[in-house]
Amino acid sequence: MNPNIDKQEMRDYLLGTLEADRRTQLEERIVCEPAVYEELLLVEEDLIDQYLSDGLSKAERHQFETHFLITAERQKNLRFGKLLQRYLHSHPVLVPAAAVRNTEKHAPATRFFLFPLGTFSKGPATAMAAAVVVAFMGIALVCWNSLKRPAEPSNVVPVQLMPGTTRSVGIATQRVHVPPAGFDVQLELQVTNTSFHKYRSELFRENESLKRADELKVETKHDQHIVPFTIDGDMLSPGDYQVKLSGVLDSGQDELIDNYAFRVIE
Amino acid sequence: MNKNWVLSQEAFDALLEWLDSDREQAAVKYEQIRSRLIKIFVGRGCADAEDLADETINRVTSKLDQIKKEYQGDPARYFFGVANMIYMEYLRRRLPPVSPFPPIDSNQVELEYRCLERCIEQLSEENRYLLLQYYGAEGRAKVDHRKRLADELGIAPNALRIRAYRIRMDLQECMEKCMARGLE
Repeated sequence: MNPNIDKQEMRDYLLGTLEADRRTQLEERIVCEPAVYEELLLVEEDLIDQYLSDGLSKAERHQFETHFLITAERQKNLRFGKLLQRYLHSHPVLVPAAAVRNTEKHAPATRFFLFPLGTFSKGPATAMAAAVVVAFMGIALVCWNSLKRPAEPSNVVPVQLMPGTTRSVGIATQRVHVPPAGFDVQLELQVTNTSFHKYRSELFRENESLKRADELKVETKHDQHIVPFTIDGDMLSPGDYQVKLSGVLDSGQDELIDNYAFRVIE
Repeated sequence: MNKNWVLSQEAFDALLEWLDSDREQAAVKYEQIRSRLIKIFVGRGCADAEDLADETINRVTSKLDQIKKEYQGDPARYFFGVANMIYMEYLRRRLPPVSPFPPIDSNQVELEYRCLERCIEQLSEENRYLLLQYYGAEGRAKVDHRKRLADELGIAPNALRIRAYRIRMDLQECMEKCMARGLE
């Protein structure tokens, strides 16, 4: 980044909270300096991503919705950001587990283990450190499996599922990669009907029921209502699956809300 | 400016000539100035930013003979000055803002998603890898992960940021074309 560009100032500008004098100075630079304009575009995308991942403060969200989204172009960019985020949630990315452990001890990890190949060209010390971490991870995984302990929250992969994604209506089946051993999968079932106190969900493979959960509750994530349904990752091998989600009436009876289809791939 | 003034080919050619003697370079500069003016008007909360940017360009073009005689310096800076005047005029005649959230058809969203999947499949393996790695990490691990990715690819973090942005823009364009073709 250009050292003369204040990123926070640019964020304030985009959110419409920069004071008039500073705004005029920054605008002149945006028009006259290519690097400043380029940075503006990047900060715009960052803001959109932060909005979608609940990374903005309450005041920033308000400004984002009332000021930033004033043009059709930015609304279009936001829509694209949402679609990209949905795609990324359906295709979890591999991230070094060590990084997840160091920085997200108290938050659910969403990604898995992968060392960048470049790590091993950085010299013997780096390679040795990487090898130690690999060995540590291997031992930890063996112990994990032998003890058969339930997975900690950090070993849960979230997968967002849209309702009605069945081939019968001509919409592509969502794809999910087989999770590594020891990981659970949290199916996040998107819902619009939030009127029930409890939800019931059942996972099927070729009409065979694999798991059922009662007493599920609706939650809000990225401005969407979801019902989280956690399943053992070992349950998922390549093939087609379906989830049936029902609302539970006060009488205890089910009322079908929607079906969710997904395909597990290697 | 005369309200009936329209941008003729001759006037436009003169504008390009003022921006740069090389016509191709002039066209690039014209587009850059226009996009930046749009950003400025958007930054000031103008929903019809494109119209205001065009109005600014027309205003400059209509007085180009005089400007050439009196102004020495970066043309972009001159456009910025005129944009400020156009903005003041806009404030005096401003219309109520439009609703920022038009309703979205869920079928449309599904078609867009299918197009996006298709466009991601069409990316080169390297670009797909970069896209998924760059945007895939979440939370506090994201910053470290992106640093590692830049190391892995042997580029500076900001160069990675720009590459990811360009892939994203290409994808968005691909998705829009796919939608316009109706998936075929």
